[in-house]
Amino acid sequence: MHVDLNLWLRTAYSRAWVRVKSTYGEPIWVAVNLSVPLLSSCAMALLYDSTGLTNYTGFAILGGIMLAFWGNVLWSMASQFNWDKEVGIFEIYLVSPAPISAILVGMSLGGILATAPSAAFVALIGWTFFSLSITPAWPAVFLTFILTLASLYAMGMLLSSLYLVYGREAESLNSAIGEPINFLSGIYFPSIGTGSPFPFALQIVVSIIPLTIGMDALRKSVFYAYDIRLVWLDLVILAVMAIVLLFLGDRALKALEERGRRLGTLVVRLR
Amino acid sequence: MSLLKGIYASIWMGWQREMKWTNPALSFLIKTVAPTAAVLGAAAVYWFGSSFAGLFTPERLAYIVIGASLYAQVGAYAFVPTSAIAEGKWSNLYPQVYITPTSSIPYLAGRCLASFVDSAPVVAISITASYYASYTLFGAAPTILVSLRSILMVTAALLLSLPAALALGYILGSYSIFVSRFEWALPSYVSGVLMIFSEALFPASILPYPLSLIAEALPFTYLMRASRAALISDSWTLYVNSMAFLALGGIILFAIGIVAFSYAERSARARGFIDKKVM
Repeated sequence: MHVDLNLWLRTAYSRAWVRVKSTYGEPIWVAVNLSVPLLSSCAMALLYDSTGLTNYTGFAILGGIMLAFWGNVLWSMASQFNWDKEVGIFEIYLVSPAPISAILVGMSLGGILATAPSAAFVALIGWTFFSLSITPAWPAVFLTFILTLASLYAMGMLLSSLYLVYGREAESLNSAIGEPINFLSGIYFPSIGTGSPFPFALQIVVSIIPLTIGMDALRKSVFYAYDIRLVWLDLVILAVMAIVLLFLGDRALKALEERGRRLGTLVVRLR
Repeated sequence: MSLLKGIYASIWMGWQREMKWTNPALSFLIKTVAPTAAVLGAAAVYWFGSSFAGLFTPERLAYIVIGASLYAQVGAYAFVPTSAIAEGKWSNLYPQVYITPTSSIPYLAGRCLASFVDSAPVVAISITASYYASYTLFGAAPTILVSLRSILMVTAALLLSLPAALALGYILGSYSIFVSRFEWALPSYVSGVLMIFSEALFPASILPYPLSLIAEALPFTYLMRASRAALISDSWTLYVNSMAFLALGGIILFAIGIVAFSYAERSARARGFIDKKVM
């Protein structure tokens, strides 16, 4: 199908702009989004501290930074279409010529920019109150961070299309998968490689979660000065995951949109 | 009598809202997965940190497993008033509850009790699941004393924490009446603060003074201590002392909660906040 590139870019820009404007136009959103990543990473940093390993408090703070983005993917990407459906915006998307994929990409870019201040606050507060010792290889950190976000938000796009078939269940599903993914992906401790408590088979399974690979590579590059040559495999995996998830998300969205149109359930709301 | 009927109806409503969105068994399973994963996450952080330092002990693992499991119960209370009042405004339920003769105090009590009934078994399941998962993953099971006596002692502690749970519901409810946006913000902070200050994961003594005093003043800290006294140290003295502080703190907080909520309800009525929504 022919895609009008100009329309696609304008749609993505508009959707990103709404999200950025809603956060920066009302900075209280930063404080609202900060609660879970900040307080849970502080709790984990204090837990590390209480075990006598102050060197590892940085793992908890890094986990908090990435938790801010993962929370955004879960609550503002995956379930967004469901909420849009509830307030009647989703119908407007469907009847407008705007490509849904552009809306999702715009939502992702806007979500990243809107979450950045919360993540920065977690880093700042962690840096101020805990004695973090880091030896970053900045090019590797930067590249890993970008690719982790790309694959995470691509996963968010896939989930958003799957959640289209759900109603209020989406909220419960989000609550149910959030913590298990935090645990399995090792957001606060290494869940793959050296130091992982998981058996090898489980480490393979949890490696299909983009956050697992991203957190592992970020820890290596932030705390152990691993440069790009040493984390190249993680970077390749993250890039492949981003492309595959983006493709799957697009296909799933089209299939479920078609199914919803056929069954007449696409804009059904719960009241 | 009408008060009890109101509370009963509200418990039923809370149960319907929390458990009946799908098959209740599936709903219960889903409700259990997240707290269990959170407990295992905290246990893994401890295992990773302490193993490297050579300081791992199964007693401390038990301390974390029990605290993190109970935290799931305590944290759940923080979200009840938002679900009951702020969400109730959206669904037009809360204004209808408000105009009933018994007001919204029994309604909120019922919703908190429903949360207690939902989440108390979750505590037992997450402790049990974490016990076996710890053994499999970390090669060491937490040293938890399981006997009829210890189970009864923890059940008594959970029941005695009800006034504090209701108080938390009323205090946050007095906030929920006035908000029509960002309604999840304060409960998220309160829930997070409780994770740090209620001794869920580590002793309050590691917090810098005077922050450690906050932990000493919270009734939920004594719920953790009483439960650990029953399940880890088997210390009757520590258990009784903690229960006394839990009861005292719960009663004081309950009185504060009732006063705050009654005032907020009157004020919200006068200022037209009961059915205020922002689209």
